[in-house]
Amino acid sequence: MKDTKITKKSLRVLLFHLFLPFYFPNGIKFIRFQQRAGSMGNCMSRFFVPLAIVLFTIMLPEGGFPADAIRIGEVNPLTGKLSKHGLEIHEGILMALEEVNAHGGINGRRVDLFSRDDQSLPEVAINQTEDLLYRVRVVGLVGGYVDALVGPISELAAKHRTPYVASASLQRSLTEGRHNPYFFRVSQLNGVVKPLCDFVTEMIRPKSAAVLYTATPGSTEFGHDVEACLRHAGVAIPIVEKFRPGTLDFSSFLLKVRRYQPDILISGGFFPDHLILARQLREQKIPLPAYLAPWGIAYPSFVEEMGEASEGLFGLCAWNPGISLPGTEKETVSFVEQFTRRFGKPPNTTTMHGYTSARALLMAIERASHGGNELSGDAISRQLRSLDLILPMEHLAFDQKGDPKHYQQVVVQIQKGKFVVVYPPDRASGKIMER
Amino acid sequence: MRISKPGLSSFLVLVVASVFIAWPVFSTGSGIYYRVLSLACLYGALALSWNILALTGSISLGHAAFFGLGAYGSALACQYWHWSPYVTIFLGGIIGCLYGLVWHLTFRKLRGAAFALATLASVEIPKVTIDNWDRVTSGSLGLIGIEGLPPVRLWSLTLDVDRNLQVQCFFLVLFALSVLYIHVKAISSRWGWAIRAVREDETAASTLGVDVLRIRLQALMASAFLTGLGGAIYAHLMGSVEPALVFGLHFSALPLVLSIFGGRYLALGPFLGALILYPADQLIFHSWLPAGHAALYGLVMVITILFFPHGIGEWVQQETKSV
Amino acid sequence: MLVQLLIDSFSIGSFYALVALGFSLIFGVTHAFNLAHGELILLSGYLAYTLGKHFNIPFVCTLPVCMLALVFVAMLLHQLLRRVKEPFELNSLVVTFGLALLLQNAMLYGFSADYRLIPLAPVPTLDFPRLHVFITKPQLTLVGLSLLVTASIYLLWRKTFLGKALRATIQDREAARLAGINVEHMSLIAFILGGMLIGLAGPLYAQREYLHPFGGMEATLIGIIITIFAGVGRIRGILLGGWILGGVESTTVFFLGASWRELVSALVLIILVIARPAGVLTKGARSAKR
Repeated sequence: MKDTKITKKSLRVLLFHLFLPFYFPNGIKFIRFQQRAGSMGNCMSRFFVPLAIVLFTIMLPEGGFPADAIRIGEVNPLTGKLSKHGLEIHEGILMALEEVNAHGGINGRRVDLFSRDDQSLPEVAINQTEDLLYRVRVVGLVGGYVDALVGPISELAAKHRTPYVASASLQRSLTEGRHNPYFFRVSQLNGVVKPLCDFVTEMIRPKSAAVLYTATPGSTEFGHDVEACLRHAGVAIPIVEKFRPGTLDFSSFLLKVRRYQPDILISGGFFPDHLILARQLREQKIPLPAYLAPWGIAYPSFVEEMGEASEGLFGLCAWNPGISLPGTEKETVSFVEQFTRRFGKPPNTTTMHGYTSARALLMAIERASHGGNELSGDAISRQLRSLDLILPMEHLAFDQKGDPKHYQQVVVQIQKGKFVVVYPPDRASGKIMER
Repeated sequence: MRISKPGLSSFLVLVVASVFIAWPVFSTGSGIYYRVLSLACLYGALALSWNILALTGSISLGHAAFFGLGAYGSALACQYWHWSPYVTIFLGGIIGCLYGLVWHLTFRKLRGAAFALATLASVEIPKVTIDNWDRVTSGSLGLIGIEGLPPVRLWSLTLDVDRNLQVQCFFLVLFALSVLYIHVKAISSRWGWAIRAVREDETAASTLGVDVLRIRLQALMASAFLTGLGGAIYAHLMGSVEPALVFGLHFSALPLVLSIFGGRYLALGPFLGALILYPADQLIFHSWLPAGHAALYGLVMVITILFFPHGIGEWVQQETKSV
Repeated sequence: MLVQLLIDSFSIGSFYALVALGFSLIFGVTHAFNLAHGELILLSGYLAYTLGKHFNIPFVCTLPVCMLALVFVAMLLHQLLRRVKEPFELNSLVVTFGLALLLQNAMLYGFSADYRLIPLAPVPTLDFPRLHVFITKPQLTLVGLSLLVTASIYLLWRKTFLGKALRATIQDREAARLAGINVEHMSLIAFILGGMLIGLAGPLYAQREYLHPFGGMEATLIGIIITIFAGVGRIRGILLGGWILGGVESTTVFFLGASWRELVSALVLIILVIARPAGVLTKGARSAKR
C-alpha cells in the first residue's frame, strides 16, 4: 500500500529535535524550574515543544508525489472483527487498479491507491477520510463495508465534492430521503431481500419459517424486511430472534427450533456465526429441511472450513467463480486466474464488490479526463451517473439516488462442495437437493 | 546549580502555543488537525472523568454505560421533544449521573475486583434495553440524523459549532479544560485530600472524620455526569449512534488506558495521555501502517509503561509526585 | 426439554470454566490482569489448527503440544511482567492491553483475516428418545475434561505442599514471603500452570468456536467475569461459576429469547456479586475491603 512518504529531510529534522535535550543538557537547565511556580511551565515545555515539532513535521508540504499520478482513496475495516471482508474489498479494489495500470494507466497517468483503516469506528472513518481528502488530496473514494461508516464518509465526500463509490453499502437510509449527488453504491439491500423472498415463497413454499438476525443495523433491517415479506405471503413465523454478534453458542436457540419444527431457518448472521450454527445444527441432528443465509455461506472458504457440514446449505451471492452475469464468463475466468496468481487465493463475492466499485470509479475518471480537462469531482460524478457497464457481477448503472439499477443476487445451494445456482430460474444451474 | 528562569519558559510556552494554534489558520485543508484535536480533547475529557472516580480507589470497567446513556438521552430528547442540543447535552449528563446514583446504591459495599466486575456487567443493562426497545430508540438500527450543535451567536459573531471545524475544536477544548478544572480540584483541594484519604485507607479516613460514602458518591456522580456529557457531545458530533458503538468496550477501555498511560496521579496526566496518543495514532500511525497501526499503538503502550510506570506524564513533569 | 437445557448448560459452563481457569490462576497468584488472555488462547488454537491441517496430526495429539508451547509463551509473558513496576495491577492491565494489540496484528499477519475452524469428525450421540434428550460427544468431552482439570488442580491445591504455597501466596504475598515461600518462584509456577490451561483451552476453542485474529475479546471477558465472580483463587468456584453462567444464559435464550441473554446474565451476576462479594463459594457477604 502506497502512502505518505516521510521525506528523509523531515525525518532528520524530527529526530534531531527530539534528541536535542539529551545532547545539550544545558538546554534543559534553561527550562528547569522551581517546583511550584515552574513545574507547570516546565511540563508544558517538555510536552509542547516535541509536540509542536512533530506537528510541524506533519504539516510540512508533502513532497514525493509524482505530480502526474491519479490518487484514489479507500477506507475499509482493515483490522478488527470486520477485517476479513474489509481486506477482501481492499484486494478487489487493488486488483482493478493494477489492471488499469498494467494497461498504461489513465491517459498515461498511473493510478495510486491510498488505503486507510477505519477500525469499525465512525470517528476514525471520518478522520481518515478527512486525511485522504485534505492531506493526500484524492480525486475519488471507494470501499467501505458497514453502513454506519459509509454514511459519515459519504457526507464528508459530498462536503468536499468528491465522488464516493461504496463497495458494500446496503441500507435504505443511505439513499432514501437524502440527496447526495456524490454518493454511489454497487449494492443495495433490496437486491438481497427480493431474490431471497421470491425464492422462499416460490420454491421452498414453507408452512412455517424461523427468522434469526444479528443486532447490527444491516442485519436488523434485513430481518424486518424478510419477516414482513414472509408474513405477507402467508408463512407462519413462530420464531423471530435477534442475537448479538460474538455469541458463542446457539444450543438453546436450536432447542426452540427443534420444538417448533419450522420448514426453513433464515439467518441474517455473518460468516463466523454460521460456522458455529451450522455445526451445531448438524451435531444436534436438528430436523431442519432448509437453512438459508444471505451473508457468509456462499464463500469458498466457508465450504473449505466447514467441510461436510456445509452440504445442502443455501446462501446468496452476487458473484462467485463460475457464477456471473450471462455473457461475462470469459472475463470472469480471466479475473479469477489473475487474482489467484496475484494473491494466492481465489476471489469471492466480497472481492468482486470491491473490484466492481473500483472499476466504476476508474471508468468514470477515464471518461472525465478525456480532452485533457482538469479532473474535478463534479466531472467524475457526472460520468458516474451516466455509466452503463456490463461487469461480471452486475449490469452496472446508477439511478438518481446513487443506487444500482440492476443489482440482484442469486440463491445458491452447496452441493458436493460446489455452489449450484437454484434461483432465479433463468440463471439456475441445478435443482434443489433435499437434505 | 539550578538557574531558575521563570520568564523564559513561560515565553517559550506562549510562543509554541500561539504558533500551534495559529498555524492551521494559514494552511488550507487543515480540517483534519482540528478534527483530530477535537476528538483528542473529547477522549481527554473522558479519561479525566474516569480518573476522578479512579482516584477514590474504585476502578470502573463500565464507564461506557454513562457514555451511552448520555448519548442516547441527548439524542432521544432532541428527537422527541425538539429541545436545543445544548440543553439536551446536559440532560444526557444528568441521565448518566442518575445511573451513577444507581451504581452507588447497589454497589456501595463492593470494592476492588468485585466492583470492577459489577461495573462491567452494568453496561449490559441499558445497552440491551435500548437495543431491544425498537419503538422508542430504533433498537439495533441506531439513531441517525441526530441534530448537530446549533450555531451560537455572540454579539456580531456567529459561531457555527457544527460546520466550522475550528469553532468545534475550541468548543471541545473548552469542554476538556472544564473537566480538567474539576480533575485538578479532585487532586489538589480539600476535597482532593479527602479522596486521597479514602483511596489510601477507608477505615483510617473515616476515623479522621471523612464521610467515606459521601466522598465516593460525589466522585461517582461527577464522573458519571461528565462522561454522560461527553457521550452526548459525541452523539451530536457524529450525527448517528448505535447501541453496540456507544455502549461498547472501546469507551470503557480507552479512557482507562489513556489515563494510566498519561499518569493517573497527575493533574494533567489523563489529558496528556489522550493528547499524545490519539493524534499520534490518527495522524502518524495510520498513514505509516494502514493495516498495522494497532501494533504500533500497542508497542508504544507496552514500552511506555515499562519505562514510565506512573505514566508518561512522569517524564513531562520531570518529578514523580508520590501521591 | 428442560433436561436437555440442563445438559446444554453444563456443557457450555464447562467450556467457560476451561477458558477462564488459566486467567484465574495467573490473576490469583500474581495479580497480573492479563488482558491478552483471549489472544493467547487463539494462539494456541492457531497452533493446533496448523498442526492438524498441515501436518495431519490428530486432534488429541495436538493438545499436549499446544500446552507445552503455551507454557513457553507464558514464561515469556512472566518475564515481561516481571519488569512492570508499581502499581502492578493497573500497569499489567495496560501492558497486556498493548500486548493483545500486538498479538492481534501478528496473528493477522501470520494467519490472515480468514476465519478458521478445526473440524469435528461426525459425532456419535447418546440418544434417549423417551426423555427427548441427547448428548453429543463434544459435550461429554467438555464436561469430562473440565471436571478432570478442576479435580487435578484441586488436588494440587489441597494435597500438595506446592498447592499450599500457592494458596498462601494468593492470600497474602508478604506473609507468604515471611513464611519462607519464594514468591517469585510461585509466580513462575502460576504462569506455567496458567500456560498449560490456556494451551488446553485453545484447541477446544478452535473446535467449538472459530479462529479469527480479532476474536480474543470474548474469551478474555469470559475469563474476567468468571474469575472475579468465583472469587480470586477458588478453583471449584470457577467450575460452579461457569455452570451458573451457562445455565443462566441458556435458560434466558430459551424462555425469553436470544436478545435478552446479556441483560439477564448481567443482572444475575450483579446480584450474586453483591450477595457474595468475595466469591460465589464463600460462606457469607464479606465486604472485601482493599
